[in-house]
Amino acid sequence: MSATAPGHAGLRQTPAAPAGKASRGRRSALLAPVTAGVIIVLGWQLAASAFAPSYIARPLQTLREFPAVLGDGQFLSATASTLLAVLEGLVIAVLAGTAIGLVMGRMRGIDRLLRLYVDSFYAMPLVALVPLLTVWFGYTPAARLAVVVIEAALPIVYSVAEGGRHLDSSYIDVTRAYRAPWWRVWTGVALPASMPYLLGGIDLAVGRALIGAVVVEFIAGLNGLGYYILFHVRSFQQDKAMVAVCVLVVFALVLRRAVGAAVRRGLPWYQGT
Amino acid sequence: MIGVKGLTKQYGDRTVLSEVSFDVAESEIVSIVGPSGCGKTTLLRCVAGLTVPSGGCVTIAGREVTEPPEGVGMVFQHFGLFPWKTVFGNIAYGLTVRGMSRRAIEPRVRELISLVGLEGFESAYPYQLSGGMQQRTGLARALAVEPRVLVMDEPFASLDAQTRDLLQLELLRIYQQRPTAMIFVTHSIDEAVLMGDRIVILNGHPSQVHDIVDVGIERPRERAVVDSERFRAVRDYLWTVVMTGGGTPAQPGEGRDSGHANEPNQPTSRKDAK
Repeated sequence: MSATAPGHAGLRQTPAAPAGKASRGRRSALLAPVTAGVIIVLGWQLAASAFAPSYIARPLQTLREFPAVLGDGQFLSATASTLLAVLEGLVIAVLAGTAIGLVMGRMRGIDRLLRLYVDSFYAMPLVALVPLLTVWFGYTPAARLAVVVIEAALPIVYSVAEGGRHLDSSYIDVTRAYRAPWWRVWTGVALPASMPYLLGGIDLAVGRALIGAVVVEFIAGLNGLGYYILFHVRSFQQDKAMVAVCVLVVFALVLRRAVGAAVRRGLPWYQGT
Repeated sequence: MIGVKGLTKQYGDRTVLSEVSFDVAESEIVSIVGPSGCGKTTLLRCVAGLTVPSGGCVTIAGREVTEPPEGVGMVFQHFGLFPWKTVFGNIAYGLTVRGMSRRAIEPRVRELISLVGLEGFESAYPYQLSGGMQQRTGLARALAVEPRVLVMDEPFASLDAQTRDLLQLELLRIYQQRPTAMIFVTHSIDEAVLMGDRIVILNGHPSQVHDIVDVGIERPRERAVVDSERFRAVRDYLWTVVMTGGGTPAQPGEGRDSGHANEPNQPTSRKDAK
């Protein structure tokens, strides 16, 4: 395959940065957040040591607790319980949310029926519904899953519906001009075209799913990171609780980065527009 | 091949096209020119079956067009490529949606990629391509369905001048290899004359066929054609009509139904009027 084709103006590619400059760039990119982190941690340590009673969490104590907590069977099972529930809920939310969002975005009638409810539930603090849902589902993992699914599905439905509504009419012209059957318009055009919107929705959904899981664990006392945190705060072992909080933060970050990486791999054409 | 009879289109109170009539013969290229906003695109959409006329009708190969018919390949001004499909995938689109097997599609698409000069870019995505390459892809996609009719809506308007010149010649070359009836809307008078066998001039509010001009230049056409006396004469006439609204329209009985040329002081038309 020749690299040049006749009569063309050339492929557009982003030029590779020279190697030395790239690694220096990475190092200086880390410098800022690390510096900020050190300042925050230092400030926290000093303020807590000076003004706070001994059971308030301090960064140095928290760090010391890390190995013990991470090795604790109870902690690990709590982590697994929360994270699996969040992942399961996210998968369900993505599948159901995309389907509902697409239908809403492409079918005016259904959009008119559902839009008010989607917008309202999306805007409200869903955690207000948790006490109700734990009564309906009981103090069970099912309640947590239900909350995670609802919390995650809403931004996905909202975003995908937006995508569906703004589908470029020229794509539809193409599908009509080339006589594509209706189902191909959904799977071959509406769905891929809504991917960028879907990804925006997933980004929001991750955070909301974690909140939902943790809140249900607080209220229902389910085995999970939320309950672990609550228990240890109330038993004056805040440093252990902080370890759990850090794990939640890391998980959220990793999940969002993973979604971004999956995008770059799976959707090479998506240029962040 | 294409028959447009008394085509009228209204949007609410506004009449965009009024009693537009002309024909396009098999393997003939008809250019459509007119001032901005005169409904050229509406006309094209009616021919392609994307818009339903308010009055009159369009026929392709004798069959009335009520929805996008088989055998029509459309090329869009802004390319209309799917960003999530590769060049190969986009070109194959018309065949894929028919349910054609990958085995059958592959050789056809590869041949077209060769024809439009995109070897090596089968797996490229539209975002990686220049405008000219994207439109080549769009053209290949239209040709893939082996159309009887090519419908082109200002296909080169989104390209820079050099690429535009290049693709005009490319299209002429491709036409020589695969003569197809073409209906070609353009804002550029030069392009209309270079590409077309005949030129339909739309004018007025609502738009009507002001005249149909026989270009009368032989094929194959090279770039040099642009300097010929004939080219300049036709172009100057068009300019007068389209830009200033002047020029004498065809006499009643000529021009509109028979497609007789309104000759701008040149010897009689070389092609028989339809």
